[in-house]
Amino acid sequence: MDYKNIPSVCSYCGCGCGVLFQVMDGRLTGTLPLKTHPVNEGRLCIKGWNLHEHATSDRRLTSSMIKKDGQLQGASLDEAVKTTAERLKGIIDQYGPDSVGVLASAKVTNEENYLIQKITRAVIGTNNVDHCARL
Amino acid sequence: MQEKVKEWLEQGRVDIFLGYKMVEGHPLPHSFTKDNIDEVKDLVTSSARYSLEKIATKIAAQKPDIKIGLIARDCNERALNVLHIWKQLNSDNIETINVNCCPSRIKEHADCSYLEPEKPGAYKKTVGIENNADVEDIEKFSQEELFKRWMYELQKCIKCYGCRDICPVCFCKECTMDSPELVATGGDLPPEVPIFHLVRAVHMGGRCIDCGLCEDACPVDIPLRMLYRKVNGIVADVFDYKTGVSADQSPFNILGEKVTLQPKPI
Repeated sequence: MDYKNIPSVCSYCGCGCGVLFQVMDGRLTGTLPLKTHPVNEGRLCIKGWNLHEHATSDRRLTSSMIKKDGQLQGASLDEAVKTTAERLKGIIDQYGPDSVGVLASAKVTNEENYLIQKITRAVIGTNNVDHCARL
Repeated sequence: MQEKVKEWLEQGRVDIFLGYKMVEGHPLPHSFTKDNIDEVKDLVTSSARYSLEKIATKIAAQKPDIKIGLIARDCNERALNVLHIWKQLNSDNIETINVNCCPSRIKEHADCSYLEPEKPGAYKKTVGIENNADVEDIEKFSQEELFKRWMYELQKCIKCYGCRDICPVCFCKECTMDSPELVATGGDLPPEVPIFHLVRAVHMGGRCIDCGLCEDACPVDIPLRMLYRKVNGIVADVFDYKTGVSADQSPFNILGEKVTLQPKPI
């Protein structure tokens, strides 16, 4: 029996509550609030309490998906990137860069969000970029 | 304590020992085993209380025969008693090392500092219920006043379910608080007041061991501990059953052949 507690930070919003992940035999089985964390002092909201369900959900995507014949189908990363680039290029050529909008995510890192706004502004050429925490 | 734990692990008296270890300045619950026996030198007691017995219940649910040792304060001992009674843990497989308790009105000199909530502000004093008060103190209010004050406290609920999730004696596989027939599920805030909390309060009868972890985990400082204390006061009066202390099956157990719901003779 291998039981571990891994301290971490909640990935839902910008508060940065301290959490403890309970890991049993290599599987994430629970989340506890970190009692001594200065931000949340042992309290969590319902999303924080259920972080482990988000991480272990079988509805998580495990591969890139492309919509073919009206249905999302698994695809290789290269194929997905190629398709996205071609479609974006087509739309931008036809309707202009402001016809594209990008929504970033709270579930990726700051650095990744930086890259998202960079690609939106510098590559696509529009300021239509926003974040789910503002919706 | 470290010597004793080392001995227990080496002799196989326990397979796993639940204690605390300092990790980057935070006392975290940690499992010590024979394989990482060198870590036992880092074993500490902690000022922050985690429910080690809840972790033990979780481990025992996976491996029923595993022998678990743990650091126990008074509240942990009471919780273990309830878990033994409700057959969530086998008392033969549990070993405890008793450590000093939390400071409270009963025990002033203690290590754990997380029991007594902060002093209430002026607004809470006027319209709410003080977390530190005794049941007798607040029953001095008139019924209408008391109702109004409880409703103020309960409507603050953000439905995080933290009180249930942290509770060492909450072990039901199916929880009434998740049942749409009894408690409306979904994102309604505040939840159905006061039904949401009263359903939980009723279920705490004969179970709650007054550890205060629920109140600790409550983001909006609802005086949950007092609510459950009142419920168990009634259990003690009507059934002569002291939760966490009595070794008998709880009067609310409906399994088995013997009917245990017997009011005490008046």
